[in-house]
Amino acid sequence: MSSWIRALASCAVILTAGLPVCALDWPVAARIITGTFGEDRGDHFHNGIDLGGGNQDVHPVLPGELVFRYDEASDYSSLPRGVGSFVVIHHDQDILSLYCHLQNGSLGPERAAYVPADRLGIIGDSGHANGPHLHFTVFDEEAGSTVNPLEFLPSLPDRQPPVIRHVLIAAGDQRQPLENGVSLKPGRAEILAEAYDLREDVAFSWPLAPASVSVSIDGVEVSRISFDSFQVVEGKAVLSGSTLSRGQVYDSSGLLRCGTVELRSGESHLRLAARDLAGNETVKIISFSVHE
Amino acid sequence: MRKKRPARVLFAALLFIVLYFLLFPYPLGRELVARPRWAVPVPPSGSPLAADPARPSWQFQLGNKFGYVQGDGSVQYSGTALYRVALSSTAFVNYTRLGTDWILQDRSGRRLASFSGNGYPLLGPEGSRIFNVKTDLSGIIELDRTGGALWERDFPALMTSVSLQGDSLLVGLLNGSLLLINSLGSPLFEYSPGGSRIPVVLGTAVAPDRSLIAAVCGIGPQYLTVLRRRNDGYAPFASLELPSDYRREVRMGFSPDSRYLFLEGPSGAGLFDPAGKAFRWVSLRGKLVGAAFPVSGRLAAIASSDGGRAQLAIEPPAGVAVSREEFSARELFLGTIDGQLLLGWDGQLARIDIEAM
Repeated sequence: MSSWIRALASCAVILTAGLPVCALDWPVAARIITGTFGEDRGDHFHNGIDLGGGNQDVHPVLPGELVFRYDEASDYSSLPRGVGSFVVIHHDQDILSLYCHLQNGSLGPERAAYVPADRLGIIGDSGHANGPHLHFTVFDEEAGSTVNPLEFLPSLPDRQPPVIRHVLIAAGDQRQPLENGVSLKPGRAEILAEAYDLREDVAFSWPLAPASVSVSIDGVEVSRISFDSFQVVEGKAVLSGSTLSRGQVYDSSGLLRCGTVELRSGESHLRLAARDLAGNETVKIISFSVHE
Repeated sequence: MRKKRPARVLFAALLFIVLYFLLFPYPLGRELVARPRWAVPVPPSGSPLAADPARPSWQFQLGNKFGYVQGDGSVQYSGTALYRVALSSTAFVNYTRLGTDWILQDRSGRRLASFSGNGYPLLGPEGSRIFNVKTDLSGIIELDRTGGALWERDFPALMTSVSLQGDSLLVGLLNGSLLLINSLGSPLFEYSPGGSRIPVVLGTAVAPDRSLIAAVCGIGPQYLTVLRRRNDGYAPFASLELPSDYRREVRMGFSPDSRYLFLEGPSGAGLFDPAGKAFRWVSLRGKLVGAAFPVSGRLAAIASSDGGRAQLAIEPPAGVAVSREEFSARELFLGTIDGQLLLGWDGQLARIDIEAM
């Protein structure tokens, strides 16, 4: 992680403590988060955040220089671009910011330098988009990683804790609900759950990826999934600091594969915790017994 | 007497020259003429077409219309892109913006296969390879005819450009890296040209015979980088600083015989001859729309478009202009048909034969 991002990370920590803001500017004025970093998008992790809020102007989050842009209405492309019309800005310390699904024709004349007051385009639904929104991504080229933009943007009020539902335990091909009082056989088993975050600024129930999910058994943390950043290792995107690819984080039905536990004979308590970036946490404790 | 000898020598020399040209006349090059052979309107989608499906046909794409036309002007298939079309010389996938179910159709529109993907489809130039490009441009999956994944690869940066020839897929990335991938999805060669203030790949091209690969890279300055195949990969062959400052994808490609490389430039098209490492610009206004190399590559035809006006230049790749036309066209296409030029503009297709007179 570059020094720039580390500095921002520390600012983000300060930010959560309610101290002065030191981070990226928001790219839009009305901020409604409709997608978060790390969500399952079928064949890839969602590599940024989605911002709704209608057809508003999009601005760069820092001063920088245009590196690449594509206007669906007019530009040549050798490959299909699901991101629609988009702009990439290069900032100091090899940080890149990416603004996608802009309205076709809204990119304006090509220019080199941008400051946050400049307009990059207008929120749209170009490319693979269900409705008008801005997909915003931050790349740390020095570290070769894609980072969670919410860690570096000024915080938004969020009192809504994540949701944990439908906890399952899977051993081999067998899956069963993991509920209090259930009796299980010893051995290795995987914990799966429907775990998502909600935000009060989205008027309807719209599941978002939490910032992290952890599994503890009898007081010992056995796994943690953190959607901080990811990078590509041997041709596969994995969560940074782990070897977890999308297929190892999500199952085919979209359930979070929270981790693998070793079940030993006797009474056990499993603690499943989901946390969002505002610090809201939901914990589910399930007591069960293990017998031959 | 002394004064007459030089006059005789001069007369003999002149006589020799005249006789030489009479007895051994030097054949002058025959004049090349661009002759329109036919022009047909692009039929509306779904029109009943009378073309014989057994005869060869060539692809066209004109705005959101696409299809295949035969050498005599018979249109074999005409379609309208639902959102975009993945088009190849033998097959196409016409896909919607949000759909995940794709149908591979042949040149007559018959269903060859159907499959699903979360991204958008991309076909190899011959239609034999099918790819699913992830919507966020982070990776690519090659699919078999049942939609199963043959291989999948994620990239450390956004894909900015791809070029595909046979079993070689060249991917250009936002971080300035070039990655050549084989038919198994394994990287054959990786290269970061460097030399610019900001690394980025803005265009890629693989020669049809795979002897060369090329890319337009970097901002401040921008370079054309050409690499030549060596036993164990590719090695830098030529690097030219370009006068351009593009911050978008640049159209570029090799001629079908791999002898020439064309690329978009700020005042026209650049033509690079790797054999002599010679580079020259063909002056044209507006954005480069396409290049074709008719008459077995003896000529280069280059088309550009600038605000409703189109320009077409036809000339030998290393020579002076044969023909230069300017005309009104909101939509423009340039391709080849049976070794000759296929020109499309505003709902019309025309075959232009280059003939020697």
